[in-house]
Amino acid sequence: MLTRVIAEAAANLLASRQRSALALLGIVIGAGAVIAMLNVGAIAREETIRQFRQLGTDILTLRADGLTGLGNFQLGDIEAVPEMVPGVAEIAPFVIGGGSMSFEGTTAGGSQLGVTAAFAHVSRLRLESGRFISDHDRYELYTVIGAGLARQLSNPYAMVRVGSGLRLGRYVFTVIGILEPVLQSPMMPVDIDSTMFVSLPNVRRILSNPSLSMAIARMRPEAEPEAVTEQLQRYLGPRLRDATLSVQSAKQLIAGMQSQMQLFTLLLGAVGAIALALGGVGVMNIMLVSIAERRREIGVRLAIGAEPGDIRTLFLAEAVILSVTGGLIGIGLGLAGAYGFAKLSGWAFVLSPTAAPLGAGVSVMVGIFFGFYPAVMASRLDPIEALRAE
Amino acid sequence: MLELVDIGRSYRVGPGQMHILRDLSLTVAAGELVSIMGGSGSGKTTLMNIIGLLDKPTSGQYRIDGQDVLGAKARELSRLRNRLIGFVFQSFFLLPRLNAWRNVALPLMYRGTPEAEARRRAIAMLERVGLGERTEHMPAMLSGGQKQRVAIARALVGEPRVILADEPTGALDPKVSQEIMELFLALKREYGVLILIITHDPGVAAQCERQVVLANGVLTETRC
Repeated sequence: MLTRVIAEAAANLLASRQRSALALLGIVIGAGAVIAMLNVGAIAREETIRQFRQLGTDILTLRADGLTGLGNFQLGDIEAVPEMVPGVAEIAPFVIGGGSMSFEGTTAGGSQLGVTAAFAHVSRLRLESGRFISDHDRYELYTVIGAGLARQLSNPYAMVRVGSGLRLGRYVFTVIGILEPVLQSPMMPVDIDSTMFVSLPNVRRILSNPSLSMAIARMRPEAEPEAVTEQLQRYLGPRLRDATLSVQSAKQLIAGMQSQMQLFTLLLGAVGAIALALGGVGVMNIMLVSIAERRREIGVRLAIGAEPGDIRTLFLAEAVILSVTGGLIGIGLGLAGAYGFAKLSGWAFVLSPTAAPLGAGVSVMVGIFFGFYPAVMASRLDPIEALRAE
Repeated sequence: MLELVDIGRSYRVGPGQMHILRDLSLTVAAGELVSIMGGSGSGKTTLMNIIGLLDKPTSGQYRIDGQDVLGAKARELSRLRNRLIGFVFQSFFLLPRLNAWRNVALPLMYRGTPEAEARRRAIAMLERVGLGERTEHMPAMLSGGQKQRVAIARALVGEPRVILADEPTGALDPKVSQEIMELFLALKREYGVLILIITHDPGVAAQCERQVVLANGVLTETRC
């Protein structure tokens, strides 16, 4: 019986294809928006996890903010942190500079970081070749560069490799190490992949007024970021001259990004829900028009012996088929949209496991909800009135 | 078989009542062929609707097979119509999106007959009315006379006790009209079904064994 009703309802919809297609459109857009939203949310979540996987979530970045710009840490104070602050396992201060570097006539912009040997370990950098800056390098003109920078400076005739000479200002640095490719991390002020690392003493040669204003620290496994932040403030705060300390933890940053993402998801969800509701109204409208047009058919069916329930089932089936078809197309388009978004932003595409079932479920619900009123209207038609209709 | 006693039907029109039918009584036995004649506005469609269980009288009693049918609700009325009555309309009222046999099978479908059996019976009935070659045709591909044959097959397929035909030849030319009347007469003999034909064609009425004339809501009978 049910398959017969479905077959008949589908045939009726096919008989007025154009109108059915237009009624579908709203549902397609609504379901598509919901699916795309859910999937983009999943993709973004995955991406965040990926970004933080590089550095880890037990990372803190410290910054000294002076009254007029960046403040200065004392190197000794920073190096004493793991002893003085119980929650910190290791710490690496660094100096940031920017300028263009050139190699064999190829020039690339990027950042320079003046670092200690600890930096590689704290920020979990791995070397593709060579070695990292050592504390014994002091004033040697040695540099380690990110994989992206190496690629940018290389040309088919001259690859940057360990031993190559890199010009920066008046100095030529010898490359002693090249890093493995890394993703840009929200925790770092620079993109490590296109950064040139030098020893702290060398910073004076390449920057006019270097300030030791930042540090990256790794917490002990059991430490809470809030507690460690407070300990750091208590220890380092008084030791800063004319500067205040700000500490950012990966966990807090993730929490912030997640709540932001949630808001974004909610917003898209609301847009999708509105579109679905409008689509549902479209289905309802089409059903009412169709019922008005088919009054005589309803009258004949009732005269022949259809019960009001049969009429209701028939029109409800039409509404549900419309919205389910729309929903399925919408799911397809939504997934395609999410895939396109992932491709455009260079993020990895992941399929949200809830998206497709939710989209299908919601479109069935929309069909039943908005199809119910017209179907009941149709079933309550007086057969005499219906037969008299032209 | 059909028993109408003191049937009245009135509509509220503004402050007053308009009486379409008054104290109308009619008894028809099984297997009779009766014509009801009357001009426009005489109330013959209202009478047809009441007999066909599509409308309820405001007063009087109506029994089919001794069963009082006036207390029934919409669902029961649907079932009674499905089992007891077959309708034939002036403009055929075939469902345009169903082919001939599916149109004919419709009353069986609403009865819950399995599709295979409904199809077999519908095709047999189409063969009986002379359309065995056109079971898969859509209504739009059939002529007026053929459409009316499909409609008659649809009215008969459920083996009802009563066939109600409202101007069954009104939309057909005289030659086809005569063929349809002959079909009615043959079916009456064959199935012993009671046939009520509403018409204003005296030629059609003349072929019925009982002729009833409805004027101003009152019946007068002429038996030939």
